[in-house]
Formats: sequence, structure tokens, C-alpha cells
Amino acid sequence: MKIYLGLLESSLPDQTRIFGEIDGNLVDLNLAHASYLAQAGDCVIAYERAAFYFPETIAEFLERGEQSLKALEEIVSYACKNGARDLCGPAGERSVYKPSEVRILPPLKNPEKSVIIGFSDRARIETIAKAEIPTGFYKLPQTFVTNGNPIIWPKFSEELDADGCLALVIGKAGKRIDPAQAFDHIAGVTLLIDVSARDINRREGLTANNLLGKNFPSSTCLGPCVLLKPTRAELEALEVELTIDGSIKQQFALRECVFTVEEIIARWSMLGLKPGDFFAIGASMALKGDRLQNPVPLRIGSKIHCSSPVIGELSHQVVAAGGLRR
Amino acid sequence: MKLVTYLYQEQERIGATEGAGRVVDLHKAYASYLRGAESNPASDDLAQVTLGRDMVDFLRRGEQALDAARKALAHATGNPSSAADAIVDPKQVRLMSPVPRPGALVSAGKNFSDHVAEMASKKGPSSPVAFLKLPGTVIGPEDDIPHPPEVKNLDYEVELAIVIGKACVDVSENQALDYVAGYAAFNDISARDIIRGENKTGIHLMGKSFPGFAPMGPYLVTADEIPDPQNLKLNLSVNGETRQDSNLSYMIFKIRDMIAYWSQMGLNPGDVLTTGTPRGVAAGRKPDQPPWWLKPGDVVEAEVEKVGRLRNRIVAE
Repeated sequence: MKIYLGLLESSLPDQTRIFGEIDGNLVDLNLAHASYLAQAGDCVIAYERAAFYFPETIAEFLERGEQSLKALEEIVSYACKNGARDLCGPAGERSVYKPSEVRILPPLKNPEKSVIIGFSDRARIETIAKAEIPTGFYKLPQTFVTNGNPIIWPKFSEELDADGCLALVIGKAGKRIDPAQAFDHIAGVTLLIDVSARDINRREGLTANNLLGKNFPSSTCLGPCVLLKPTRAELEALEVELTIDGSIKQQFALRECVFTVEEIIARWSMLGLKPGDFFAIGASMALKGDRLQNPVPLRIGSKIHCSSPVIGELSHQVVAAGGLRR
Repeated sequence: MKLVTYLYQEQERIGATEGAGRVVDLHKAYASYLRGAESNPASDDLAQVTLGRDMVDFLRRGEQALDAARKALAHATGNPSSAADAIVDPKQVRLMSPVPRPGALVSAGKNFSDHVAEMASKKGPSSPVAFLKLPGTVIGPEDDIPHPPEVKNLDYEVELAIVIGKACVDVSENQALDYVAGYAAFNDISARDIIRGENKTGIHLMGKSFPGFAPMGPYLVTADEIPDPQNLKLNLSVNGETRQDSNLSYMIFKIRDMIAYWSQMGLNPGDVLTTGTPRGVAAGRKPDQPPWWLKPGDVVEAEVEKVGRLRNRIVAE
């Protein structure tokens, strides 16, 4: 199941809603569940109960845990029985939309830990010191954009680059998690493009830092959805491809990462993990496990495309600063 | 004004301290002012809209909210009987960080020449150096700092926290201070052994970001009260013994330089920059001397002149 965070045309900025993708349509899960409860006879508190299971953000939805996932299953089987197209709220409210009718937002709005694990592919590791622990860098939530948004070339850089990643989204809080249990803490996965100013990275790298070169407006493309609860085998098999102007820069799957998902979650759980936190893998992943190719140079107008067959795609164009500032 | 965020009856509130040290609840005091001075029947709702949900929300509202806060404070101190429910005994509150959830927490490194020397760095940097601490690490001025069991080398760093009050992109050094809402004392707690491990192949994040690694407060002292933030003494003691004693005038990149430089990535109300620390940290201690690493039971006091003092106890996690 893929879930999206979105706004309807007339919604205020903070009235975000969670949508589920059913038969190619986006279903407002809150209203659909209210409808399911009402037809089952639970009319009085249908709206409130549905709003509890499907709150305004995906992070809060994940916080509800199993009960919200169960409510989601109920909607899916209800929709399969009655047809997704005809779903509406208890009082006839519209709840099914075409994807083009919803303004999709980054699925996670303000995670406490939005971390990209660095230097994690085997090919790259051979050329640098062996990484013993999964280190990572933080991407500020204020840098997040999602599919379709322009990437604004920062004034301070001459050299932009982009890497595709898979982000593991935490669904269950935990601290000092046993690696054997770590997989249970993953709620799902989404795509991420890590946009970097390489010239700044090099300078900041001299002091083991990574701030300005990784954190400017639109430097983190996240989404478009959260693919919920893949099995371990499904997760390992997810292929990610990143192209720049149509030429392939990266192609990888999680199984090529030097660290296992469990090692990463267990290590970072020393800080305590919360639903909605994510750890992204792949920032330095090469083409089909080969040594890292010379990056295709990005320029104003370049089109960056990151995709994974089951999850979907992030598609962005690089634009000049000015005029498009948020 | 000295603005505070505090817990009162388990609720997070924003307030200002008055002369006698009592805490004035801004929402209640402003609502009382609106009822009295303007006979506004929807005073509670209007106070909420004017002042916002929390400190970051308050800062986003800019001058209008600051002006309302000043009116609220003057009203409560001038009319203690009609605003009685807005005045709280400080013993009944637990101060949180004045900005409990900063948007970004940008901490300068290598920004005092004496500290650069003690850390055996070859030379000072050519442009401002900083790292991000996870904003969730922020705790209040008297909260306990958990000592993670994995950490062997726990260290302290007294700094000044600069809280941004207005969104800014590419501002000049000359205008930089216009974007400051105010200042607070800050202690950049660091796990040096974790950082050494991270620096081998990556960048440091975890070693700066365990829960509670960023005590901040006790107040957000508004910028109008600190006309010259670049000339403030700062000191830190452990169990009463002075470890750091310096002045912000020794910063390599000044507060103005830092704001101008980091505004290149865009700064927003509620973002926090910290100045970096002077010499005297435990990591700078020579190997033949008894180590200064923090251990459970230690009490760390970090103070910045005119801004305030933090007092945190280290507890085993």
C-alpha cells in the first residue's frame, strides 16, 4: 500500500490529509474510513474515530501503530468490495481523487531524525578508508520538496550534484534496539534525492562537516509516497535508478549496501527513534556496483529523475536562483 | 524582556519574567489586558492568535507579537490583582529551553583561537565552520543531562546561542544583527570518542546529538537588552571548579559574520546559531593530567554575562 500526504485545492496549508492509492486513484483515507464505520453502524463517532486513525500527518498516522494499519486494511477490503471509484464520506462527501487533483507534499514534514547514511556502497568503500560504522549526516526538514518541484541552484555554488537514495521510514519508537528486532521498527520506504554543492562539500569536508553544501532550499527531494510494510526480501530487491537528462548515473539495490538495514537502525537507535524519522541509504551508490562513475555535470535546466518501479518517481528540474524563491 | 518557555501544571506555556523573578504567562496576561483595556469579549482567542502556539510560532509573528508581549508584561506587573491568574510563582514552574524545538541548530566549531590550539588543529578555518546538532537534543536550563552508557569521553562547551527572529537570506554583516530575536546561554555537550569514530570515515552528527546534549536558556533575552553581544564574558564550571573563562570578543568569526554566512542557506525564526567555545574543554587536557571527562553526579554550570546561567547535573542513563 502506498500512502501520500496531500492538500486539496481549497485546503489551508496545515489541513494536510493522508491519501491511499487504490486502483490508480487517491482515496482520502479519513473520509473513506468514516464511511466504512458509518455503514457498519458506528454513525455517532465515525468522523472522530476516523480522524483518530488518519490524522493530519503521516508521522502521526505511524505513531498510532497497528490500529491505524488495521483501519487501513479495512478500507482496502471495503473499497475492493464496493469499488474504489464510488467511495464517499458518510454524508456523501467526495473522497476519491485523480492524482492530478491533489497537491502532493513531502510525506514526512518535520522528522526529528532525517539522516542520510554516508559512504555505504562496496565499490566506493574500496577506494576510501573502510567504514566500520554507519555514519550519517542530517538534512534539515526546511530543505524538503517533493516530486515536480524545481531544484533551485544556490548562489554560493558552482558545482551541483544529485544522488538517489532509499529512505527507511521508522514506524515504531525505540531506543538501543536489538538488531534482531530492528526490522520491525521500519514502517515503510520512500525515495530521496540528496542534492549537494560539491565545491562546498569539499571545503566543509576538511573539518569533517557537511552543512551548507547539503542544506539549502530544495536540496532534499522526498517522496512521492511511503510504501508501507515491504517484507525484508521486497525491501532488499527494490531497485533505485537516478538519471540526469536521461543518462543513468546510479542504479542500485539495498543488498549492495555495506551495512545491513538492521545495523543502521540498531546503531542510530542509540539516540532514540520516533515514528516518522528516516535513514536514507544510497547517497554514494554507484552504477550497478561498479566504481563511482564521473558524475554527469548538472547545469541550469537539467532534469533529475529518481525512480523505483514499486515506489514511483521523483522528477525535478534545476532552475536558477531568483524568481522562484519560496 | 526575558522570555521563557516553561511547564506549569504539565502544560507548555510561554512567558516573561518580571522584576521580582516571577513568571508572567503571556497568553493569560495579554487576554487580561484585552479584556480590561479594550473590553474585547474574545480576548482568549485573540491572545492565542496574536501570540501563537509556542515560542517559534511567537517569533514568527515578529514585532506585533513582541509588542503584545510587552503590553502583557506591563499590564500584569501594573495590575497584579486583575491579572492574578497570569502571574506564577517560579517555584511552581519548570523552565524548558526558551526555544524548545529550534528549526535548525547550527553550532560553530573551531571559532576561538585558543580552542583551535588546544584541539591540536593546524590552523583556524578560512570560512565559518559549523555542524548541525539534531534539534531534539535541546533541554532546559536545569534539566539533567543523560550520560549514555556507550560514551566514555563526555565533554562540555559553553557558548552563546543566537536565536533568529526574522527570515533572512544572503544578509550582509552590517545588517545581520537586525535578524536576531535574542540570546541564551548554551552548553554544547559532546561525546568525543563517538565523534572520533565518526570523523574517520564520515562527518560528526551522532557524537553531538544524544538526547539532552544541548542545554539552553534560562531565558531568551531579547536583542534590545544586549546591544553589544560580541563583548560578553562566558564561563563554565564543573562541581564549582572553573574550567572555561573567556570572552566572546575572542571569536574568530564574529556573530555578524556567522549570521551573514549561514543566511546563505536561508535562516528562519526559531533557528539557533551557537558561537563555538573557548579553551578549557576536557578534550584539550594534556594526557599526563587527570582527565576532566564528565561523569554521573557532576554538576555543570555554564554562564554568559547578562544572558544567564545553566545548571545541569550529569546522570547515568
